[in-house]
Amino acid sequence: MANGIDEHDGDADLVRALRALPRHRAPGTFRVALAETLAPPPAARRRRFAMWFTPALSALATAMIMVMLFVPRLPPGVPSDPIRPLARAVINQHARAIWWGESRPDILNVVLPHAMHESGVALNWVFAGDDHIQLVNAQPIYLEGRRGMELAYHDAHGHTVTYLILPLPSLTLPERGRLQIDRWRPHVRKDGGFAMIMWKQRDLLCVLISDLVSDDDFGRLKDYFVKVRSSTDPYATY
Amino acid sequence: MADEAFREQALQHLDALHNLAVYLTRNGSEAQDLVQETYVRAMRFSHRFEPGTHLRAWLFQILRNTFLTFYRLREREAAISENGVPEGDAPMFHDAPSENSERSGVHLDLARALVLLPEEFKTPLLLAEVEGLALEDVARIMDCPVGTVKSRIFRAKERLRTHLKDYGERSRG
Repeated sequence: MANGIDEHDGDADLVRALRALPRHRAPGTFRVALAETLAPPPAARRRRFAMWFTPALSALATAMIMVMLFVPRLPPGVPSDPIRPLARAVINQHARAIWWGESRPDILNVVLPHAMHESGVALNWVFAGDDHIQLVNAQPIYLEGRRGMELAYHDAHGHTVTYLILPLPSLTLPERGRLQIDRWRPHVRKDGGFAMIMWKQRDLLCVLISDLVSDDDFGRLKDYFVKVRSSTDPYATY
Repeated sequence: MADEAFREQALQHLDALHNLAVYLTRNGSEAQDLVQETYVRAMRFSHRFEPGTHLRAWLFQILRNTFLTFYRLREREAAISENGVPEGDAPMFHDAPSENSERSGVHLDLARALVLLPEEFKTPLLLAEVEGLALEDVARIMDCPVGTVKSRIFRAKERLRTHLKDYGERSRG
């Protein structure tokens, strides 16, 4: 027998000896330290509840900031009066015609072709005037980013009546503000001391504007409209 | 299985794991490192443990794999002193029971003989004969067939007897 283990009864003795070996138990300090290492921190337990809350709150805050930053920069909504900006431009152009417009009735046969050539608006017919109102000038204009034509009339009372013709195929005049004048129903508006009568002919916007805003004066403007509308046939050349 | 319950159940096998870790590393402080690493991995991959299966065997498997991956590579060959006890920074058997000198001598010789065994023989021997694991579980831990486990246990015992015989002859002078 060697070392208490019978060589002839090897297995059983050896196994008994192996099982009798001292067990290397984990020291107490190590056991405590290991338990603390494996335990989740208290904050993590609370965080388990807030795991979805914090990202959701961050996303919501980001969305709110984006809205506050970008909404004011969005283009304004469709204005309730889509014609108003155009009307303002027409008024300004009419004002320029009053202040700086020339009266050149004697060379209308020269300026009118020039205006048609430069503006891209041709006239099959044009109302040249009668005893109440006279065509005095024609010139190309540039309005709202478009080339057009301006025909200036002077009436017997000294009022300037401007007839503007602009290619605006996409413009639709609203139904509100329409007025039956003779056999037409143009759009009528008064703004800033001026009266305007607007209509579409083919793809052209036609505007008759003057300072004839009183009831009597506006009646004359309607007469001028009938004369111009029935005697002028514009079309775009491009 | 909830983390808390899993942790509690796993810690119940701490002594067994520590015991094997000491025999593998032959160093008390490294054994603790090995056991801690084992438990950290066990918690991290607790979702892979199938409840109802043998948790102890699963932990032994992690411990052995961790030992093979991290500790064996940097394990230096233990310097064996003239009396056969490996030199390390901590005594291996700090809690040896106080028994009669003859029995203590047997234990010491057997412990020394175990140290000399290669890991491939030592681990299955300890798992099967000391920890009482089934051979199927040992095979899973060793990642080898049951027949290989039996063969290694047999050869481990043979080597132990050879070593013990040598110690016995040496002691008799």
